Amino acid sequence: MSIVVCDLTVRYGEKVVLDDLSLEIAHGKWTCLVGPNGAGKTTFLKVLLGMAPYSGSIQDNGVEVFKSHNRNVAFVPQHPQIPQGMTVAEYVMLGRSKKDGWGNESLASRSYVHKVLTQTNLFGMQDNLVTHLSGGEMQRALIARALAQQPELILLDEPTSALDLHHQISVLNNIELLKESGVTVISTMHDLTLAALFAEQLVVLKAGKVLLSGDSQVVIHSSELKKAYDNRIDVYTLDSGRSVIVASKYDT
Amino acid sequence: MLSTEHGAIARIWNWRITAFCGLILFLVAIAAVSFGPIEISFFKVFKTIFDLPGASTGINRTVILELRLPRVILGILVGAALATSGAVYQTVFHNPLADPYLLGAASGAGLGATIAITSTHHNLSGALPIFAFLGGVLAVLTSFFISGKFFADPNSLLLSGIAVGSFATAIQTYLQQRHSAALRPVYSWILGDLTNASWSVVAWSAIYIAIALVILFSVAKQLDGLMLSDEEAYSLGINPKRLRIIAVAAATLATATAVSASGLIGFVGIVVPHLVRGLTHRVTNRSLITIAMAGAAFLVLADLGARTLLSPAELPIGVITAFVGAPFFLVVLRNRRKVSQ
Repeated sequence: MSIVVCDLTVRYGEKVVLDDLSLEIAHGKWTCLVGPNGAGKTTFLKVLLGMAPYSGSIQDNGVEVFKSHNRNVAFVPQHPQIPQGMTVAEYVMLGRSKKDGWGNESLASRSYVHKVLTQTNLFGMQDNLVTHLSGGEMQRALIARALAQQPELILLDEPTSALDLHHQISVLNNIELLKESGVTVISTMHDLTLAALFAEQLVVLKAGKVLLSGDSQVVIHSSELKKAYDNRIDVYTLDSGRSVIVASKYDT
Repeated sequence: MLSTEHGAIARIWNWRITAFCGLILFLVAIAAVSFGPIEISFFKVFKTIFDLPGASTGINRTVILELRLPRVILGILVGAALATSGAVYQTVFHNPLADPYLLGAASGAGLGATIAITSTHHNLSGALPIFAFLGGVLAVLTSFFISGKFFADPNSLLLSGIAVGSFATAIQTYLQQRHSAALRPVYSWILGDLTNASWSVVAWSAIYIAIALVILFSVAKQLDGLMLSDEEAYSLGINPKRLRIIAVAAATLATATAVSASGLIGFVGIVVPHLVRGLTHRVTNRSLITIAMAGAAFLVLADLGARTLLSPAELPIGVITAFVGAPFFLVVLRNRRKVSQ
């Protein structure tokens, strides 16, 4: 099964944000949307959440996205609204609302949150206020809430953008953890090197159009990727076989 | 603080706090009926209200059932309405300083009341609550209309509320300058009181406030989702735009009713939600019922002070709510900061 996108178009007023997109996203894999700012990556995530009106079709397991209110899709935003006065436990507990109903505090629910807090190394901080967490801890709290949701699909908008190198890897490892439980992961990411390292599939977007989508190792060496960034990137392959993508200083 | 039990995190909300608040409210209400120029014993009051053997008769019965009880019940209704609306506004607008009068309800109601008082041709003072109610609701509707029908951005509603409020206040001030004789009644109304409590006032305000509170209590748990961004709220299964409209509409109905029944009683809507959250260290809207009961108890106590401290004269209740509320509020804020450090 997969998510099948067909002729997807999204307009904000006169502006066409996504232009006649067609692609397929495999379930159980990590797909990363890459492309310059304004390519429509975040809008695509909003469509998958079911909160942006669109034309065309986008089917998840054969069901049209905007028609299915029961889909359990977790969302990890780039800029979360951090609620004042809320503890980590309360914050992660919000993730159970889709599974158990709002405000359900059953033992099963609370045990699950306990487990998730342990998994994300937040146990012991559950009574801290979320407003007092560091950037890395907040990112882990967001992942914990997404885990608590037990989603079929998890959407992450720039999960590493505000983090130092060490925390970037730890968050990405946490996402791998999510994937092991069979969840489909779709993220946006500006860091192409990390995207190539962790994601199995890449979708290259530019100005609302898909330039290329497919296996990340193929996409990373393609001319379409360079085209998306106006040929201002260089792709190097290390001896280990890993690819490193950096911005070019000069036009190539 | 107890944080775990048998491999599970502790419950977020402890309903014993709610039960405790209910008990306090009940005791405060009975005490408020028994105190006054005529002292009536606690038990007599209890028996008279519940029509048990040994109830008061004659003048005491009239004092209890016709003077004090409607006033206490109106206090409960207004206190619950203001505290709950304040808590809901604070959640919806992500603003701890939001109060129930934020969207122009107060200025609109003030304008309505001023029109009723300054209208010299007809004696409209009896219609004052209706004018105040209409003024408050109209002002909030105008704010809604200006901010755009989809209410996508809470801040735009906040700003248009401020603009509409200032406009209404300007007209109100102009009318007061034209009719200087009306200044005194207008200002005494603005300071707020429960003196015109009667069973008929209690009856109509109870209907509106009950409708509003039932709606708010039924969405209370979902309101926690509005503390997040809209995208996050969607992923947790709520429609934030629709929920905001429902919450603000219900809170406005409660506020407009409270204002038209008792004038502008300040501070309850800000202090009480923060008191409950500060004392319980919980911001969840599951506490909404508790906040309502605490608001009711707070206002009944304040009214008791208003009518007994300078007896037989009455203090405006707003003076008491601010005088008692402000220092108490500061202590809670201080403790809260200590805990969170």
